[in-house]
Amino acid sequence: MEGRGIELNIGPVHPATHGVLKLVADIEGDTVKNAKVEIGFLHRGKEKIAELRYFNSYFPIVDKLDYVGALNWEILWASTVEKAMNLEINDRVKYIRAVMAEIQRIMSHLVYIGSFGQDLGNLTFFIWALRERELLMDIVEEISGGRLAPMYNRVGGVFYDFTDGIADKINTALSKIEEKVKKEYRAMTYENSLFIMRSKGIGIMGQKVIKENGVTGPNMRASGIKRDLRKDEPYLVYDKVDFEIITENDSDVYARFMVRVREILESIKIIRQLLKDMPKGDAKISAPWIMKVPAGYTLVRHEMSKGEGAMFLVTDGGLKPYRLKIRSPSFYSLQALPLVLEGCKVADAFVITASMDPVMGEVDR
Amino acid sequence: MIFNEIYSMLAYYLPPKANLIASALATFVLILIVLIATPIILGWVDRKFSARIQSRYGPIYVGKFGLLQNFADVIKLMGKNFVTNQYVDRFSYNLIPILSSALSFLLIALLPFGAPSLTFISLPYNLLFIYILLAFSPLLIIIASWGENNKFAVLGGFRSAAQITTYELALIVTFISIGIVNGSYDIINVIGSQSLIWNIIYLPLTAVVFFIGSIAVIERAPFDLPESSQELQAGWRIEYSGLKYGLFMIGDYVKLLAVSILFVSLFLGGWSGAFLPGIIWFWIKTVVALMFLMSLRWSLGRPRIDQLLSIGWKWLLPLSVINLIIVEVMMLI
Amino acid sequence: MNDFTDKLLKAFLNGLKASDGGTIELTDKKKLLKVVERVRKNFDILFMLTVVDRPPNFELNYVFSKYEGRDILILRTLIKHEESIDSITNLFPSADWEEREAYDLFGIKFDGHPNLKRILLPEDWPGHPLRKDFVVTDEIKNWTGLDLKF
Repeated sequence: MEGRGIELNIGPVHPATHGVLKLVADIEGDTVKNAKVEIGFLHRGKEKIAELRYFNSYFPIVDKLDYVGALNWEILWASTVEKAMNLEINDRVKYIRAVMAEIQRIMSHLVYIGSFGQDLGNLTFFIWALRERELLMDIVEEISGGRLAPMYNRVGGVFYDFTDGIADKINTALSKIEEKVKKEYRAMTYENSLFIMRSKGIGIMGQKVIKENGVTGPNMRASGIKRDLRKDEPYLVYDKVDFEIITENDSDVYARFMVRVREILESIKIIRQLLKDMPKGDAKISAPWIMKVPAGYTLVRHEMSKGEGAMFLVTDGGLKPYRLKIRSPSFYSLQALPLVLEGCKVADAFVITASMDPVMGEVDR
Repeated sequence: MIFNEIYSMLAYYLPPKANLIASALATFVLILIVLIATPIILGWVDRKFSARIQSRYGPIYVGKFGLLQNFADVIKLMGKNFVTNQYVDRFSYNLIPILSSALSFLLIALLPFGAPSLTFISLPYNLLFIYILLAFSPLLIIIASWGENNKFAVLGGFRSAAQITTYELALIVTFISIGIVNGSYDIINVIGSQSLIWNIIYLPLTAVVFFIGSIAVIERAPFDLPESSQELQAGWRIEYSGLKYGLFMIGDYVKLLAVSILFVSLFLGGWSGAFLPGIIWFWIKTVVALMFLMSLRWSLGRPRIDQLLSIGWKWLLPLSVINLIIVEVMMLI
Repeated sequence: MNDFTDKLLKAFLNGLKASDGGTIELTDKKKLLKVVERVRKNFDILFMLTVVDRPPNFELNYVFSKYEGRDILILRTLIKHEESIDSITNLFPSADWEEREAYDLFGIKFDGHPNLKRILLPEDWPGHPLRKDFVVTDEIKNWTGLDLKF
């Protein structure tokens, strides 16, 4: 194995890559000389489908973009069409949407930290993280009827209002999750010396690489850039709650992990404040089922669980969109991945890929 | 020896020549039963224990408490076709499962099962022979991974051979220390000389070194990097399926049992203890050691291969040598 | 943001034109690189590139964004269906995969792009699906992907 290197296809079907992602790595000895990333195995043509469906019928398609945090994209699509129609939604709907968005953010981060622990060989941790996610899945199912693809939003509102007593159930579930994150996860991961040995100092993604490649979200915040669209360009009711932007300074794999763990705790804080301040009222949908949207260009961006996501909607005054372009944050994280993988060891290649948190549904659309 | 016990039991009923043949056959059948029962029982314990750690149930449908689950799995494995890749080297590919099972067979035959008369073969150099069997793996693994003609297998096989070679050095130094303190390389004598004080009080460092080193030599997590299913898809076993894979699994569990029995015999006094008969003490201690070893797999992650090797060279080997020196000094005093 | 836009408009009087909602239209596509060089001084990344098919033209909407604050700049330009346009990857490396996607789904060629290959669709797939005149032909129906070297 000395002399020429081997070219290793870490192919699309592999238990370690998150979804269908293909890495072609040039390996020499135990080091990766360079790596190429190939995507497109899950391309389903969602942007073309948008030109064929009515605005309200597009929600099932939007759900499958980021399949671990689906409600974030639904809220973005609903907000885009509402901005194009200049539609006002009432306060209760905004609070409901913010609570659901934060619940989905916690669920997405739990899947991340679970599967990250699994990549380091710790199978138990994966099942524990999913066990916590089940508590929130039950709540999402009770509110909206669906676990993974809720299809809960409509243009102008949400389909069902919150049921009675759901606020207490949410608070109980959140307390359990908070206790587990602060105690069990600490012993298993962030204060466990094997975990630290595998993740500190590896996969450093400096600010220059981030700023050149358009990386946003927790990956960016792990390098010290203090930016979060919920504070810098507040949407829904984020200007009325009090929370912090979590940053770390090391920009290695451990920092990206810690940012997401602490973001779970921040989201729990946000949900508790929102539930206390939620106004009474009804969450009626204030738009017809099939509607005409005036011609023009609309761009809305929100902070998804993986970074800054945006939708650019071009309408021509008809009943269906003329062109929809989706900007997904994982697309840009994967664009920066070959630069981070240069010079790392083979075993670390998987760990670094996992730490970027790509979800192929939103990369390939 | 078990052979002697069976011989003396059957001496009432059979003439000497027939007795010889009958006891030999009976011993052979007994070894086979122990060989097959070990992975079935240990496998069940492993699955249930790991399931409860992970907040789930484990096997519950096949038999009461899922006890027959591993029987069903063995029967299923035996009924599979031998699907072989056309590019493998037939000779080495088929040789290694046979050699590896022969190794496990011999390992079962040498271990004490609770009392001085309950071994299948008794040798005066028991300990060293067991060491050779445990440390023979790198050669088999390199042959297997080269014969499989697969990049992933070769990567895994070389890592595995490097890991086992590193850690068996620490292990041999440990065994030498035991030999010096107890004056013999026979496990039965080692246990006998611990009837007053257990070895772990004299040799605490050696116990730690033995524990960590033996987990690395049997390739069990957290040191199972070569077969890490997350990264290299079962490493050097990648082209094996069906019954041949089952034979490797049997070898894994037999080695796990061997290491726990060794730890108990060498450091925790074997069958010495008050109030209860020795054999019950022996099995209680072995079960505790086994559960501890099993739980390590499900609670820790995996270090990377170069971190693994550096632990072996920089920490374990020097520690065991230091312990040997301390032991020699102690003996002189 | 508005005074940056004003300065930009003044610097390129016969190449840029203000449009509705704060977007800027580039009327002379040969000045693209110079305009983008000016934009580079204030904005950090290409946030997204949206191509809209308005036959017989393609309308490219470059959206630029930065890492502090909420400013964005939308730069719009029109090219005909068979024309090619300069690639801005030298100035904004984050445009790499976006331009590959535009080539893949629309067929627009970018001059000077380091690696203009299909990204989402397989490499031997015929046609460019997001065009308005795209029709599912027999060649597409019979595509199997077995000819690709994996």
